[in-house]
Amino acid sequence: MTQSAKKLQPVPKAARAPGAKAGSAPPATLNRALGGAGTERAPLAELRARAAGAYARLELPSWRRSGFWTTSLEDLDVEALEVRTHPTQTAEPAFLEGQRSAGVLVQRDGSVVHTELDPALAERGVLLCSLEQAAREHSELFERYYMRRLALDRHKLEAASAAFWSGGAFLYVPPGLQVPEPFQVVYEISAGGTAQYAHTLAIADRGSDLRLREYGLAELIAGDALHAGQFELYLEDGARCALAQLVDWGSGDVHDVSTSVVEVGRDAFCHWLPALLGGGLIHHHDELVIAGPGGDMAFRGLFFTEGEEHLDVFAVDLHETGPSGGDVHWRGAATGASRASFEGLIQINAGAQQSHTYLQFHSMLLSAEARLDAIPSVLVGADDVSASHGGTVGELDEGLIFYMQTRGLTRAQAVRVIVDGFFEPLIVQLNDEALEQLIRDRIGAKLASAASEIERYALAR
Amino acid sequence: MAELEIRNLHVRTEEREILRGVDLTVRTGELHALLGPNGSGKSTLANTIMGHPSYEVTEGQVLFDGAEITELAPHERAKLGLFLAFQYPVAVPGVSVANFLRMAINAQREEPIKVKEFGEQLGHAVELLDVDRSFTSRHLNDGFSGGEKKRAEILQMAMLQPQVAVLDETDSGLDIDALRTVAEGVAKLHAEQGLGALIITHYQRILDHVRPQFVHILMDGRIVMRGGPELVERLEREGYDPIREEVAARA
Repeated sequence: MTQSAKKLQPVPKAARAPGAKAGSAPPATLNRALGGAGTERAPLAELRARAAGAYARLELPSWRRSGFWTTSLEDLDVEALEVRTHPTQTAEPAFLEGQRSAGVLVQRDGSVVHTELDPALAERGVLLCSLEQAAREHSELFERYYMRRLALDRHKLEAASAAFWSGGAFLYVPPGLQVPEPFQVVYEISAGGTAQYAHTLAIADRGSDLRLREYGLAELIAGDALHAGQFELYLEDGARCALAQLVDWGSGDVHDVSTSVVEVGRDAFCHWLPALLGGGLIHHHDELVIAGPGGDMAFRGLFFTEGEEHLDVFAVDLHETGPSGGDVHWRGAATGASRASFEGLIQINAGAQQSHTYLQFHSMLLSAEARLDAIPSVLVGADDVSASHGGTVGELDEGLIFYMQTRGLTRAQAVRVIVDGFFEPLIVQLNDEALEQLIRDRIGAKLASAASEIERYALAR
Repeated sequence: MAELEIRNLHVRTEEREILRGVDLTVRTGELHALLGPNGSGKSTLANTIMGHPSYEVTEGQVLFDGAEITELAPHERAKLGLFLAFQYPVAVPGVSVANFLRMAINAQREEPIKVKEFGEQLGHAVELLDVDRSFTSRHLNDGFSGGEKKRAEILQMAMLQPQVAVLDETDSGLDIDALRTVAEGVAKLHAEQGLGALIITHYQRILDHVRPQFVHILMDGRIVMRGGPELVERLEREGYDPIREEVAARA
């Protein structure tokens, strides 16, 4: 029996669909919303010790569902990986040069190597520092929020992250402050054989307004590497945040098992867009929780897998209170022999009346060997709500390719136009040229490397 | 001076043979009309000229300036100076008319076109085709009316300046104003740029506005009759049946 199966809990009564009988079998999925389970308050050392205990006790996870889908980390030799440390540096990453930022924090492997914060913002009470430093110097804020919505023992790698994280990022924006430039948090993996236990904690206090980027980046690395990340963002009453996460671990064997939670408070709003554009194995649990009445969100996401990549996303749109709004829109494409699965869950708890949300997922298959799976589900525990889902499954339109070819575009150029057009409705929402270009370039590079496979696929049909 | 030559062309799809020996030559500066009833193979000919992968040439050749292009990819044919205006233009989501045109023009050049030069060309083409400049910032064919799609086809033709264009039933589904604009656009490009065109249609309306010098009638995969503008008039009077009978009697 796998670990996740052992941890399987019955569906909470509040989350049961109307008419579902108590004691009836849960849906055929092992993924569950965190549902605000969180971790009870305790000193950091104690939480780390508890997580270390869970790490020692638990087996490496394997998530299995009906059909072809299994995400397994059982073969990862996690003990052989080491947490590397690095000295601090003054230079910011090349890809951020020339961009305006409110602040930048860079963690390479196990160390925060670069931190800078606009002094004017520091003066106004903004905090940007390593999470280690925050635990020491901003203990009140740290203790109030740290792990408030994250779990530490659902599986071995989550426990490892909670037990062993080093460096980490901490951001606090005080009440009412509007920060138009983005905060940039970068996690880099520099070499194979590395384990990176990452933790970002961000707090947007009442009525503040900010943009936050989190990057997970690596060049081509040789051998296994691990990024076990936890991310938590809390939007207090009336706060607004545009959050983007760009993950591109390159074509090496990076295993990324991460959980992100965004809590949206009363009348707060979050636009969240994870862009998952590379990694040998990615298992992400991304949960957006409306925790206060009037909370609203736009949860966007995109991914593009190639080669032998394996991607497993569980995106949760959870409404704990109403009235609340939600709009979930993800798009994914797959080529090569890659495997991608998107599971989207809308959960409306009992009492979250007047919650209205919609989940849509659009996919595009770009090779015969690739597999792309979409599993939407809806759990509703209130009666005065609307929750629905929809989506499309797309393939390359040969008529459209021919049309563009007759105008002089090569087949590869035409495919690029189609795939760009597929992702564009989400990319433009970032409203940031540099980041948009980064994502477009990455998509272009993936298409270029898969050009011959895409061609073969087209000719075989 | 360029020349598109079709020699003894036989074409089939997975289901059946459609063209059964077509011979046709179109040079720059010449206007040809190809008429034929539904199912005679007109669109097959248009698509085969541009290299559509669903049509298999089983015999015969397509030549451009004497060189065989039967096996060339569609984009290579475009670069030689061939163009196809589609009967049913497809939407290109997320790409504006202007951006698409820039991509298409740059695909045929070594150096990307200068912004100013492109702007001037576009301005000229927009004027020629009597469309609003804002038209070029809309996503190509996405939500376009039938008339807008056909105008967009002719706009692309004007910008790409082909030597020889094939217009596949560009006149179908157009109201009289759109038809006039499209026809006048073709006539102007013929006059200004020396465009050679093969205008494919199954009825004669467009030929009231563009006078072809050469008229060909396609039936059951063969060109069964050739002539000048008088052939269009005859068709208009008599329809296809007398021609069909005449051809049958000849055989």
